[in-house]
Amino acid sequence: MVTISRFSYPEEIKDKFVATPGLKFKDGSTVSSAEIWEFMTKEAPLRFPYAFDAGANNIGRFSDDVHFLSGIKRGYLTLTLKDRVMKQHAAGTPTVLVQGGQAMDAYYAAGGIPVRPGLVMQWARNMEEGLSLRQSETLGLNILESGRRKISIDACNQIAAHAAIDNKVVPIDLIAPFLCLRCSDMSFLVETHRNRVHDIPRYMVDYPVDHENKPWAAEYIAAELRELIDKIAKLSGRKITDEVLFNEIKLENRGRRLATEIADLWWEAENPPTNSTDFFGIAFLANDFVGDPVASVDLLEQSKKEIEERIKNNVKGFGVPDHAKRLFICGSCVGPNAHHAQTAGAIFVGRDDSWSCISVPVEEEGDPYLNIAKSMLAYPYEQRTEKRAEWTAEMVKRSRADGVIFMYQWGCNYQSGVARMISDIVKERAGVVTTFVEVGELGRSEATEQSTNRVEAFIEMV
Amino acid sequence: MSIKTLEKVRKRLEERPEELKRAREDGRKVVGWVGYNVPEEIIHALGFIPVRIAVGGDDRLVEVGARYASSKTCVFIREIVGAFAENQDPFIQQTDFLAFDATCLQNYRAAEVIEYFFKKDVVVLGVPRNFDWDEAKQYFAHEANEFTRLLEERAEAPLDASRLAESVALYNDIRKTLKSIYVFQAAKDNVISWEEVYDLIQAGELLDKQEYLSLLQQTLAELQELQQNPVIEGDDGNSRLFISGSLIPRGDRKLIGIIKSVGGRIVGDDLWSGILPHLDLDIKEISPAGVALAYLNRTPHAALPYLDLASDKRLKKLHELLSESKAQGVIYHTLRYCDPFTFKAKETKNVLAKSGIPLLEIHTEYAGSDYEAMKTRVEAFVEMIKIKSEITEEEGVLADA
Ligand code: SF4
Ligand code: SF4
Repeated sequence: MVTISRFSYPEEIKDKFVATPGLKFKDGSTVSSAEIWEFMTKEAPLRFPYAFDAGANNIGRFSDDVHFLSGIKRGYLTLTLKDRVMKQHAAGTPTVLVQGGQAMDAYYAAGGIPVRPGLVMQWARNMEEGLSLRQSETLGLNILESGRRKISIDACNQIAAHAAIDNKVVPIDLIAPFLCLRCSDMSFLVETHRNRVHDIPRYMVDYPVDHENKPWAAEYIAAELRELIDKIAKLSGRKITDEVLFNEIKLENRGRRLATEIADLWWEAENPPTNSTDFFGIAFLANDFVGDPVASVDLLEQSKKEIEERIKNNVKGFGVPDHAKRLFICGSCVGPNAHHAQTAGAIFVGRDDSWSCISVPVEEEGDPYLNIAKSMLAYPYEQRTEKRAEWTAEMVKRSRADGVIFMYQWGCNYQSGVARMISDIVKERAGVVTTFVEVGELGRSEATEQSTNRVEAFIEMV
Repeated sequence: MSIKTLEKVRKRLEERPEELKRAREDGRKVVGWVGYNVPEEIIHALGFIPVRIAVGGDDRLVEVGARYASSKTCVFIREIVGAFAENQDPFIQQTDFLAFDATCLQNYRAAEVIEYFFKKDVVVLGVPRNFDWDEAKQYFAHEANEFTRLLEERAEAPLDASRLAESVALYNDIRKTLKSIYVFQAAKDNVISWEEVYDLIQAGELLDKQEYLSLLQQTLAELQELQQNPVIEGDDGNSRLFISGSLIPRGDRKLIGIIKSVGGRIVGDDLWSGILPHLDLDIKEISPAGVALAYLNRTPHAALPYLDLASDKRLKKLHELLSESKAQGVIYHTLRYCDPFTFKAKETKNVLAKSGIPLLEIHTEYAGSDYEAMKTRVEAFVEMIKIKSEITEEEGVLADA
């Protein structure tokens, strides 16, 4: 019989945890730390056992730095996403399929809940409760395969999210992503919904190429944003004014600022104050806002304080190896397993995709549509490849990385197409070793050997 | 029966690289263009010599290309990148700079890779994905002006409106003549095959445009002499096939050869390496934006997603061409990692099934390893169409009786 090791939060940290502030949500409600504790130690392990699987192959495994209390709240936001979205959806809030790595200001301001493909799949897998890691992954794989059968074997794993929508595993009211230069599959996958019985409304915000010094590119996006916001607002019933937009922009700018401040503190620290899982989990909050920007910003504030405290006391995050090799991660929708990397002696110090959109605040005065459009066009990750690589090299230097891993998924044509070019430029400009790895097995914890071996061999080389 | 002008075309194609070399020695510049919405008339009117860089069918070059652009880029683009890496193609060798469009973003990525690794000068034309929108058209008009400005810089001269009008007139004549020739290949007792017309269309991507028009006119005159009244009939005893899907550039004749070898007759296509780009191009205004918008207003390329099935112009055009050519089945060619066409294969099949037209998807690469498997599938499809048309014929006879 296979014994599955389970992760749990130790009782001895409970008092310290419940003494910390809870979280505020955008509907005005709050949750206390005592309630979060109850959920994360009693309710969640029963409803979502897979999330507490302590196996090293569980790529979504929680951080074992249990003393980093914001990390527990971060886990809470992840595991309550389904409940929160379903509750809001039932109350009339439209759910919108979006693209990752893009600002969400427009969607939230218009009264929708944007969900990126990765979160759609997490939500879809959580629709069935009580599943082990293996069962949950099998469920995800079945959805993925149904999508591949319907569309194409050449599609990347994002097809699973579209299949989950098609198969009505999760209720999505509008399919309306931003397109961008990173993604080969999104636009064609959105297009496939036109022949489905469900006939979910569709829309796309186009993203022009080579847009430097071209004011017409921003004007084009701004016009599309007006249409997008109008479409969401019709579903949400919200009246959209410039003030509504600016309020959302200000809130999300606060999140972006906090995340960049945290990154700067973290990079400058003598010892990494958190492990890779916690560091990436925090940054992601300001990129995605996991269904609730108010709660995310609240948690970012708490995280920053905790990290400052750790740096002051020169505390190293639990699990960070001594003399850890610092790795910068490039590429979309997939990344190396932080636990494996830690065991092999490395820590992740940054990620181009999430950091790209966090690093660009939206102007808080003037025409909000044009401001969002301009900020989108300024994302370093969506620039010409050479420019993107130069920015990446800068980030590599700032984060004091020793090496760079560029990962891309099977079927991700645009990322794979520039992987070598970016790796070469970064190597030349930042003077660090680089490698690129293709991943074909997302969601299959038992089949990750190939990419894990390559990552480990690279760490050894670094 | 052979068309004599076609021989002349083949000969002129062989001589063309040397001719380009001499033209360059005389100070002319050759522009290699890659894409689906590059307004060639603008390049031509600025005094450049446009040649389309579209090569395929060489698995070795695909391997070479993969070293720079990964094995997950579409086969066509991998081969193009490989061809630039090796720099052995006689037309590529003669290019002074390149013009790429961003209709398909794999094409755009290729532009970046070629510019970076092989130090080529590349001009890029942005193409909007929401192409049928007024705002997108405004964006594209700006892009066309910017594209022209970049070309003018390289020409060291401004674009002259009367030269543009001359180029537009020349290209319009080419398109008109091609359309007239195209009818002959689909006709009963045809004197020219689709394969010959296809090669003729692709020859125009490389030859001098004025000479090309004259060669087309000579071809048409020969055809008219041999067959005064070409009539397209559906029941001419052949399996009448239509080719759709990813482009089939020069150098790649695997699928076309297989269809012929198993007795299928191709009578039409909507390939972007075939007749489609020459159809419905209506230039209303002689200006860079006017020309470029006419390109964008044609039947859209599959790389430009369209979110409403009922009003999809690509499918509408497919139906129209199928009915004109009286084709009985569609071979839908998809290249490995060509998402624009691959993702729409099943949908296209379902849509055509409603009109009773069968579709066979052939998903392939440039390697020869799938030759036999492809042949078996195409053969079975051709056979199925034959049987189907025999049954329909018999039913017709019974109904008449
Ligand atoms: S893996 Fe690549 S193609 Fe797939 S969703 Fe992510 S960016 Fe797009
Ligand atoms: S349309 Fe297909 S074959 Fe053409 S460049 Fe794009 S992916 Fe390649």
